[in-house]
Amino acid sequence: MKTYEIPQEIQDANTLEQKLDLLKNIGRSFSVFRIDCGSCNGCEIEIFAAITPLWDPERFGFKLVANPRHADILLCTGPVTRQMYYPLLRAYEATPDPKIVVALGACGVTGGIFYDAYSVLSGIDKIIPVDAYIPGCPPHPASIIYGLTTALGVMEQKLQKVSFEHDGDMPPLVEDSVLGNTLFERDLLVHAKRLMSYVFGRKLFDKYISALVKSGNTKDAKATKISITEAMQIEDDPRYAECMGILHNEIYTHYVMCEEEDKIDLHRVIWGAK
Amino acid sequence: MMKLLDISKKYGEITHKYPFEPYKVADNFRGKPAYIFDLCIGCAACGIACPSNAITVQFNNDQSKLIWEFDCGRCIFCGRCDEVCPTGAIKLSEEFELAVKFDKSALIQRGELDTQYCTTCNKPFSAKRLVKYSFECLSKANVSEKRLEEAKEYLCMCPTCKKTATVATFTSGKEMVIE
Repeated sequence: MKTYEIPQEIQDANTLEQKLDLLKNIGRSFSVFRIDCGSCNGCEIEIFAAITPLWDPERFGFKLVANPRHADILLCTGPVTRQMYYPLLRAYEATPDPKIVVALGACGVTGGIFYDAYSVLSGIDKIIPVDAYIPGCPPHPASIIYGLTTALGVMEQKLQKVSFEHDGDMPPLVEDSVLGNTLFERDLLVHAKRLMSYVFGRKLFDKYISALVKSGNTKDAKATKISITEAMQIEDDPRYAECMGILHNEIYTHYVMCEEEDKIDLHRVIWGAK
Repeated sequence: MMKLLDISKKYGEITHKYPFEPYKVADNFRGKPAYIFDLCIGCAACGIACPSNAITVQFNNDQSKLIWEFDCGRCIFCGRCDEVCPTGAIKLSEEFELAVKFDKSALIQRGELDTQYCTTCNKPFSAKRLVKYSFECLSKANVSEKRLEEAKEYLCMCPTCKKTATVATFTSGKEMVIE
């Protein structure tokens, strides 16, 4: 869908040479005008975090201004809702030539999570030509500083298109099970993720498996109980310790014949938490 | 005024020297998802989990390749793909320097996987690597040799043919005995 025809005089005054010439021979600070085209304000919060003394973009001469007529750079956020379509065009046409447009955030770059919603035009570049894209939801202040300095040519662009076209051999992906049955590992990982989410669940899984292997004979319920209890006692984080006990009681006992006394008592006083 | 100078002297300079010195992000920072092509099996779990459809898994036009494509511009860095990936082919890295100039296609990562065709109706339905991975999982899951032989046959069939084949074995009296 073609929404906006850029007038010929704006096109003529905004060629790449003219933009590079402006960046090279500016001789003063860059004025940045920020347009919120229906963003959720996450990007705005990060922009204001980026202009605090902690990041201080005035080192490179970036200065936020309150009027597009004073601006060199337009910093556009949001997926461009219908209501913000005309204000965006007015700001674009009011900016003196040559103007540099930066699309900020996932929404500004492609529409982000709203890309197929009925009320948005999904992306600044569907309407006006964009010079630099800064993805992130929202971008970290360091990403914003990086994006603006990349647009100026201070830093080099790091990402390139990556395409793997040759389907080679894959390495063996499934490791041997400690109990001789990979279903044990599967159930253990699922339960660990359920208990502690995926990042910490994987750590919990690794801790539990290493404690189990340390016992010598993984199929001996008595030896593993002693080994897991020891691991729980030396564990600094009580959440990991208790979850290791839960894993042992609920998953291990299904795969190895256990009596009631082989289960670990989860009362903190009994297993001796720090 | 002098008091202000004293205060600033006491606290020193806090501005990050970022573009001139590397910046260390916080622990568990969710940066750009890093894709390891060698580990990808083309199961499309990430494509289903992705809330903004930044990851798409589709056949190409002549259905000879299964194309996994990730558009970093649309990614919202939620980490769902990392959560569901069974082989760890996609993991959130600490990379935050993602800005690109002029050309948005620099944000794209893609991988092409060979397609598995159904042995009965010759229709493409999955990636070869996924079939191989499923068999590898089964062979280490303590199942009997006979079941494994059956699985080898069924894994290379598309869902429709698998259904008909199962019905055919059941009705012809060749039911499998689960040991």
